[in-house]
Amino acid sequence: MNWLIRALSSSIGKKFVMGITGLLLCGFLITHLAGNLLLYVGAEEYNHYAHALHEQKMLLAVAEVGLFVLFLAHVVLAVVTTRENKLARKQNYDVKETKQKAPLFAYFPHDVMWTSGVIVLGFVLLHLADFRLGLRNPGPEGEEPFDKAVRLLHDPITFGGYIAGVLVLGMHLSHGFSSAFQSLGLNHPKYNKFIQCAGTAFAIIIAVGFASFPIWAVMFQ
Amino acid sequence: MSHETINLTLKIWRQPNAETEGRFEEYQLEGVSTHASFLEMLDILNDELIEQGIEPVAFDHDCREGVCGMCGMMINGQPHGPDLETTTCQLHMRRFEHNDKITIEPWRATAFPIVKDLVVDRSAFDRIITAGGYVSVNTGNAPDANAIPIPRPDQQQAMDSAACIGCGACVAACKNASAMLFTSAKVSHLSSLPHGKSERSERVLKMVAQMDDEKFGSCTNTGECEAACPAGIKLEDIARMNREYLRASLCSSGQ
Repeated sequence: MNWLIRALSSSIGKKFVMGITGLLLCGFLITHLAGNLLLYVGAEEYNHYAHALHEQKMLLAVAEVGLFVLFLAHVVLAVVTTRENKLARKQNYDVKETKQKAPLFAYFPHDVMWTSGVIVLGFVLLHLADFRLGLRNPGPEGEEPFDKAVRLLHDPITFGGYIAGVLVLGMHLSHGFSSAFQSLGLNHPKYNKFIQCAGTAFAIIIAVGFASFPIWAVMFQ
Repeated sequence: MSHETINLTLKIWRQPNAETEGRFEEYQLEGVSTHASFLEMLDILNDELIEQGIEPVAFDHDCREGVCGMCGMMINGQPHGPDLETTTCQLHMRRFEHNDKITIEPWRATAFPIVKDLVVDRSAFDRIITAGGYVSVNTGNAPDANAIPIPRPDQQQAMDSAACIGCGACVAACKNASAMLFTSAKVSHLSSLPHGKSERSERVLKMVAQMDDEKFGSCTNTGECEAACPAGIKLEDIARMNREYLRASLCSSGQ
């Protein structure tokens, strides 16, 4: 087992786990978005899906533990590597410029991965408190999932936090998705462009897709 | 560019030794020829400082033709200055304007302690090379160039990676002071050729372990190193090293 501990505690191993957990969490985002899109199909369909999902008690427990482990690994590694990275340069430059071509609006998401990650973590905690644990606005007994979603999204903090959270998540993904492939060693001119474009498209789809739900709930429900 | 000579304000990091705290000093330098190289400009400054009885600015340099990797300093926030794929010694004063203010700092990284002024100790790189950046297969006398057939793309890629001069600009540019571009260039270079293949697993494991021990940061895939590299080393090398590391960890007996 020595080799495994050595590999996972190396700088490359840590980034490898960071990339794998990040991509698996991206997979969760796709299923979550697909499920939520049933809100637009109709209350009945959404409720049917939600009930069917909640009936799978064993499966759901396993999935929740799995997601928690993925999330925890991603966050712990972020804390560990960010700390190490700070220690690697104790004194900053007086002047620091870049030779990289400035993108549109000087958008450098990779410079703010830690900040965007912390904001996303805050949003996830708020989101869990609202929807999973029912801590902030507990609903009436036997409330249908569709009604619960619409009711919760009318709460101003939930509404604002949701939109801000998913937009920052999109920013996080716009670097994280393609960066994960590089960390896994997948970099070749024949598909680099594709990964870059797929990462940008994925970030936009996730951000716009999720941000549409609170806006829809408040405007049309 | 209208001036053949320019006047400059130089803001330079002065630090007598590793133990003493450093600070910036400003110097006025007048009548610098725009044909002078950046290091010649510093030579001129040092001549003036010596005449004034001030300790000259210490900086690393050797070949002054862009191949040795000794020179290197942050010039207005850029390793080796503003030009692409250029070392400090290849940078010329025609790149600057009359009355410009130039801030000059040493590489800043925990793994590169400051020796004096702009000189940093880069022996961490030497230790990474010592850990595995070599081929110990005895090759005997100079063999015929065609004795070991190497596909053209492999040879070209190894040559591109071998272009690394080990100056440390990648570490200096990286926000995490990571040495991934340097280490990956060496791993890519040696592991792409038949002579280096037999030691490839051991090599990548040992070099990465040494790199981590030296307290360099991790790679965040920002691409700053690639943009700053005077030798044109690409991020593909880092991905190649990641693959090599994964392969060595999972598919070799290396510990």
